[in-house]
Amino acid sequence: MFRARTYNSGYGPTKRYMEKAIFYKEWIKTRWYFLLSTLLLAAFTGYCLLNVSRIIEFKGAVHLWEVMLERDAVFVDLLTYLPLLAGLLMAVFQFVPEMQQSRLKLTLHLPYPHYRMVASMLLYGTLALCVTYLVSLALIGICFDALVARELFARVVLTALPWYAAGLAAYFLTAWVCLEPTWKRRILNMLVGAGVLRIFFLAPAPEAYNAFLPGLTLFTLLLSLLGMLSVYRFKTGEQD
Amino acid sequence: MTDNIIECRSLTHYYGKRLIYENLSFGVPRGRILGLLGKNGTGKTTTINILSGYLKPRSGACYIFGENIQEMDPRTRQNIGLLIEGHIQYTFMSIAQIEKFYAPFYPRWNRAAYYELMDKLHVAPGQRISRMSCGQRSQVALGLILAQNPDLLVLDDFSLGLDPGYRRLFIEYLREYAKAENKTVFLTSHIIQDMERLIDDCIMLDYGRILLQKPVGELLDTVRQYTFTMTAEGPLPEDERIYHPSAIRNSGEFFSFLPEEEVRRILDAQKVPYAGLESRRVGLEDAFIGLTGKY
Amino acid sequence: MIRTSKILLYFIATVLLAWTLPWAYGLLGGASPSAPFTLYSSVSGEFSWLEATDRGIEYQDAAGRRFTDKQFDSILPFFYYRQLISDNRFPDSIRGVAVTPKLAQAGNFMFRSSPRQVNANVPGIYPLLESMSGRVDLEASDDVFRIDRNGITFIDCETNTVKADKSAAFTEMMRKKGFVFPARVIAGNPTTRKEYDEGFFITDNEGKLFHLKQTKGRPFVRAVELPEGLEVAQIFVTEYRGRQYFAFLTDKAGQFYALTTGDYALHPVAIPPLDLTRQGVMIVGNPFDWTVKVSDTDGAEHFYAIDGETFGRLKELHYPAPEPTALEKAGKFVFPFRLSFTSGSDTEVVPRVTDISAWALILGLVLAAAFCVIRKTNPVRQAPQCLFILVCGLYAFIGLLLFSRK
Repeated sequence: MFRARTYNSGYGPTKRYMEKAIFYKEWIKTRWYFLLSTLLLAAFTGYCLLNVSRIIEFKGAVHLWEVMLERDAVFVDLLTYLPLLAGLLMAVFQFVPEMQQSRLKLTLHLPYPHYRMVASMLLYGTLALCVTYLVSLALIGICFDALVARELFARVVLTALPWYAAGLAAYFLTAWVCLEPTWKRRILNMLVGAGVLRIFFLAPAPEAYNAFLPGLTLFTLLLSLLGMLSVYRFKTGEQD
Repeated sequence: MTDNIIECRSLTHYYGKRLIYENLSFGVPRGRILGLLGKNGTGKTTTINILSGYLKPRSGACYIFGENIQEMDPRTRQNIGLLIEGHIQYTFMSIAQIEKFYAPFYPRWNRAAYYELMDKLHVAPGQRISRMSCGQRSQVALGLILAQNPDLLVLDDFSLGLDPGYRRLFIEYLREYAKAENKTVFLTSHIIQDMERLIDDCIMLDYGRILLQKPVGELLDTVRQYTFTMTAEGPLPEDERIYHPSAIRNSGEFFSFLPEEEVRRILDAQKVPYAGLESRRVGLEDAFIGLTGKY
Repeated sequence: MIRTSKILLYFIATVLLAWTLPWAYGLLGGASPSAPFTLYSSVSGEFSWLEATDRGIEYQDAAGRRFTDKQFDSILPFFYYRQLISDNRFPDSIRGVAVTPKLAQAGNFMFRSSPRQVNANVPGIYPLLESMSGRVDLEASDDVFRIDRNGITFIDCETNTVKADKSAAFTEMMRKKGFVFPARVIAGNPTTRKEYDEGFFITDNEGKLFHLKQTKGRPFVRAVELPEGLEVAQIFVTEYRGRQYFAFLTDKAGQFYALTTGDYALHPVAIPPLDLTRQGVMIVGNPFDWTVKVSDTDGAEHFYAIDGETFGRLKELHYPAPEPTALEKAGKFVFPFRLSFTSGSDTEVVPRVTDISAWALILGLVLAAAFCVIRKTNPVRQAPQCLFILVCGLYAFIGLLLFSRK
């Protein structure tokens, strides 16, 4: 009855191009931030590792091992909240432009399923953050793998991993807050987000999250669903 | 079933406890340009939001191309062009980037149509939209819709922020395009003069209801502004076919679709003390104000 | 998917409330009182303690006698020996045995074990000090060892490479002494801040106990005879100044042992079975006897006086757990459970549900009804929500009110 039905037969293969286009838009929004945050996080990681090499230079490798074993030092504490900040800002750079002047209406008007659209946007951010984090983690990994036994290497990495998981959680939670259409709810979401993020920073000692890490990672990934809830509320017309 | 591209049935919506409208029904036939007129707060934006799927009405449903908007197949949106109030676009992109972004979504994408319009703007392809004037931005938004080449265009307050030159340009371009390609257009604007040059039909919204839906030509042919002089203190006419009678000192005024003899009969019957009754044809803006009232 | 997202949100809200509300509630009550500082007196043969009261510090013992601070010093001569020496009051003999300040200095020791320390996550590599360096001060080791199924491996800290010769020599020696790799329990004090080094006590894969030291770069390995059927659970290498013990041990049944030096003899200590992963232990020892304090998780404290020679029990004293306060009792009706991620008895972060209370179901029922009234729906239509509130009580109620659609 309507022409809309007839000319859309080639929809399947074009979906890939649409996904590419979605990523393209996200890339334009975040490319400078992505490069800057990756560089900065790498620089801070490098600074921590430089400290480690200076300890070896001035006090010797034995001292390094000794403080790691006896005093639970991991030498990367400086990085604790940086992945969190990186994730939070990634979401801000991605989703604040969408919410300014209700641009999300444009995005959701594209002939692409709504929730898949948000999922694609979140996937882009997740992948970008993973690159940022992997650069930092790889630096830590390469450095400590060369300098200390695998037990201490694992200790450093396992101590730092929850911080990077927190970064992803911060990303999903900030996306949830940004996409939320009403201010009242947005503030409530911020409180919940702050509470959730606190869970990642309770470690009284190194490797405190070893048992919880798989569950926590799953929980972190589930947090991506919250963004869908905000879009659902946007679509039903919730507003201030 | 009539060949309505848009079909809204028994829409009812409230914000909180405030009723916007109740049981609103209308249709937009294929190939027509329909303007939605209404004062602030009568639900123009609400209607556009419901039509574009960003608001779920309390009850009732809207159909576009026969599909319920709330459960619309995403592919159907390829065939609906949406212009958001204020020509909102992705201002963080350049005009070349935004074309590259949109193209894969639309199978009928007409790159030439977009660039034809962009060439008139004398802006470099690398220029970011955020650094353009509001008028230039409106052309970008229009160009994108033209390139999308949809059968239905939904334009929310297209004249917002445009100076008269750009408004005229926008209207002429759009009208020519819509008529040449047999497009259906549903639009709102707060500048009614603009509408007069553009639309075929109009819907006038009053608080909570539709006042009328008519072709503009028919409306302007039939509606009359009546002026008269009050000869003494007396009542103003009261009749549902007489719209917004008012008197400032002794000059009275109202609007009606009735012919003059009919009007005289009502005035006489209601013992309105009048003299010098005159009727006049008016433009769309005057008709709108006359029919919906100044307040 | 929206449904899943909503459920996730209610779940998160409930988790956060179950975590923070009981914590905030706990802040209302003050700190619970703890048992007074108590020691067994070698002089009087009674437990004696000091307590801070409104009238100042009071000293008394289990026989009901009250003391001045000076008297208190003298009934605990080993504990307060430095005060007594400075006052020139250190006795010549205690219970007929001649004593000297030097004896007190050498024979005193303090042992502490906390669940947090026992449950701590350790890296699994250990530096093995040189126990006969010929120097007065111990020196940090330039390598660390790990024990796995292939043997013991020494890793050089400087180069982060395996010291193959040393590893082979130690592995061979351990195998020769009957050690079956890998190890189960590895215990030592790999710090240079001690007076001498006794290396490590290690149980092998069959539960046999071994003593491992490095003397002049060579392995010293000795198998320690264990009674039939004894399974070692924890080992604490002591290295006290008096060199009276190699280590304290517990077995899987919770029995506490002292491993004496020289003869490598294992002496069961006459205290009830312990669970060091849950109970804290403090031992204040002197040449005559020990005061053993065992702290339970509920706040109860048990004191045992142990004979330093025979490890038999001389006396015991029990402080019961403090009665729950009115606030705590009321809490049982308010909170269906509490959620925490950390615990005082370990260093892990992991969700733990504690204090489950069936009494809170009453409030849950009321709140579920209240929810239906507030939302003007009947309970059948909102059955999942009502059930959720019934079980998760206040937490679910607040979470749903905040986040579910009106």
